[in-house]
Amino acid sequence: MSAPTEFAELHDDLRAVARELLAASAGEEIDWGVIADAGWLGLEVPEGQGGAGATFAEVAVILEELGRAATPGPYLGTAVLGVGALAVTEPGPRVDELLAAVAAGEVLLGVALAPTGDRALVEPAFRVDGADAAPTLHGRAEFVADANVADRLLLLADHPDHGMVFVDVSPDAVVVDEQPVIDATRRFGTVAAAGVEVAAGAILPIVGDVQHVADRGALAVACDGIGLAATMLDATVAYVADRQQFGRPIGSFQAVKHTCADMQVQLTVARELVDAAVEAVVTDRTDAPRAVARASSFAGETAVSVVGDALQMHGGIGYTWESGLHVHLKRATLDRSLFGSPSAQRRRLAAALAAGAGTGS
Amino acid sequence: MSGVTTTQLDGFRAEVRAWCKDHVPADWRARQTGVSDAEFVDFQQGWFQELRAGGYAVPHWPAEWGGGMSTAEQIVLYQELAAHDAPRLVLAFVSIHHAASTLLEAGTDEQRARHLPAILDGEIWCQGFSEPDAGSDLAGLSTRATPVDDGWVVDGQKVWVSGGLHADWCLLLARTDPDARKRHGISYFLLDMATPGVEVRPIKQATGESHFCEMFLSDVHIPTAGLVGAENAGWQVAQATLGAERGMTMLELAERLGQAGFGWLVDVCHEPGPTGDRPIDDPVVLDGLARLDAEVAGLRLLCQHHVERVDAGEAGPADASIVKLYYSELLQRLTDFGADVVGLAGQTVLQKPVSSGWESGAWVLDFISSWEWTIPGGSSEIQRSIIGERGLGLPREPKVAGA
Repeated sequence: MSAPTEFAELHDDLRAVARELLAASAGEEIDWGVIADAGWLGLEVPEGQGGAGATFAEVAVILEELGRAATPGPYLGTAVLGVGALAVTEPGPRVDELLAAVAAGEVLLGVALAPTGDRALVEPAFRVDGADAAPTLHGRAEFVADANVADRLLLLADHPDHGMVFVDVSPDAVVVDEQPVIDATRRFGTVAAAGVEVAAGAILPIVGDVQHVADRGALAVACDGIGLAATMLDATVAYVADRQQFGRPIGSFQAVKHTCADMQVQLTVARELVDAAVEAVVTDRTDAPRAVARASSFAGETAVSVVGDALQMHGGIGYTWESGLHVHLKRATLDRSLFGSPSAQRRRLAAALAAGAGTGS
Repeated sequence: MSGVTTTQLDGFRAEVRAWCKDHVPADWRARQTGVSDAEFVDFQQGWFQELRAGGYAVPHWPAEWGGGMSTAEQIVLYQELAAHDAPRLVLAFVSIHHAASTLLEAGTDEQRARHLPAILDGEIWCQGFSEPDAGSDLAGLSTRATPVDDGWVVDGQKVWVSGGLHADWCLLLARTDPDARKRHGISYFLLDMATPGVEVRPIKQATGESHFCEMFLSDVHIPTAGLVGAENAGWQVAQATLGAERGMTMLELAERLGQAGFGWLVDVCHEPGPTGDRPIDDPVVLDGLARLDAEVAGLRLLCQHHVERVDAGEAGPADASIVKLYYSELLQRLTDFGADVVGLAGQTVLQKPVSSGWESGAWVLDFISSWEWTIPGGSSEIQRSIIGERGLGLPREPKVAGA
């Protein structure tokens, strides 16, 4: 139904604008200035820093549309992880400056939350030595989303005095290497630091729950998966209603029709779980991690399954490069591996089930 | 939801909780396992009157007939009945849902006045729709109603009549114009089960129980006053009233599956087996359980939002089919999982409680009875066709000549 935010009634407009804008550049690298001008990078940035002061529910609308169009670009690193990371760090001028730069489209961010990008739970891949006197940064992370295009990197690190911190560094100060992946729409890099000197001001203490950032990542790719699956179902329905074999539209055959029905059912349930998780995250409910784990595990599998069915229902044409369906299948497969595989997310659910009785909402 | 504030809803929830604590018999499951038919009927009738006294028996009826509860309150009511594992209204189900909605939407004032108060007093209804040769293709039914001076004379055979042995009245579809196209020659009747020529025989089903009956009709007289709606418009009346419970039954069953049913499944996974190992310690079991946890959560959200969309007039043409299909197949997966986890020990649980939902903790029988959801009420295959055609707009199957 709706997330309980003052922006909820704007979702339809936001969705329509996003769909039109992204459709115009389908499959192309979109001019990121356009995205910034549309205000999508700063949706959650406070109005004082030039943002819209909106919530993750509005970001989720954009994420689904980015999935529909399989839009390449650094929205994940900047708007989802970067803004999320800055929201759990101790407020201050440096954080405000970064948020303002993000909202203005001047700075793209990359965030490393774990030694590699497939972890459901945060785990610092870096450490700060030397405390406040002459701090140095050590560590290495793989599959850092948008690391190679980011202007600034926020690296989760263990700090001798502050526990977990984000270290805000320029990519030039560390070693960033692109990691080519099958999917052509998302970019990843390794980030390595071997005793890099960092300024004391670059160490951003964490005052919130940093796991929220990883959960935002998991939920973001779940939203993306909803978009991927929804657009592939639309394309499949249109194709099988049109394509004739044996003297009739193939969509009139039950084998095809029932596959489409199953795609629809899976997508409907996935959307329910994702909507509920978005609402739980926006309202900061205590059961938000569980809602995210449910949504992520279900939507991750659903997206791959629905897009895979779409390819199958398109027959030979679906397997061609030209049809473009492979773009969605590759992105869904990649999404499924990010921020916790379905089985990793189910392990989070399982922990509660193993601990005790399983009833409850 | 219109007209009810969150505070009012919280107050109502507290009221229902208090009522459940006072009225739900703690040991009803044990007491209703292995009982006779007569004991089952007594128990169901007694529970119905308890609910009626509490104001919870027919919340969906119009206020003037004893209902008038808002949809938001009904959601709370069924959530709490499920949470307190209250007995289900099995026997009165067709009476309070299908019979009532038929009378309210298409009946005459006389028919309403005759039957709605009687239903509250325990009048039991069944549904005579399906026939041996008209299952999924219901409109192909051939039970014949021939006009006579003071009504009709009916001959034919009905099947899958739930509760037929206990019913006082039957919602009957019969063909009144054999020459019309098949959906335009059917009429909708109210049949007094005590009429001479009505014979009901139980059908023993896969679980060994007999909830369904076949019904033979030989020269059965139905008076003029027994017609509902216009002659030959019975199919349209049935279409308008089949979705009578507006998703509320699915919501109740989803809540039961999510609260009691899934809880029992988790509990049984914690119980040590013969070798002392607990199923929950097997990572494969744990993963399966977590998968079901997400699916059940999805089902509950789906059902609640479906009811809200129906209430707001925003439900899509295939939404009810999505709900029914997902519930049925999830119920089957979940009870299958339960039967697998309990292993041979589950094979020794020979009876399950009546008045229960479809999952009872007697996992093997629960699993076997799950086909009671995937086959009747529009099989899963029919639901998929509805989702494809009415929901997604895909082309229909070509018509076979003569069908």
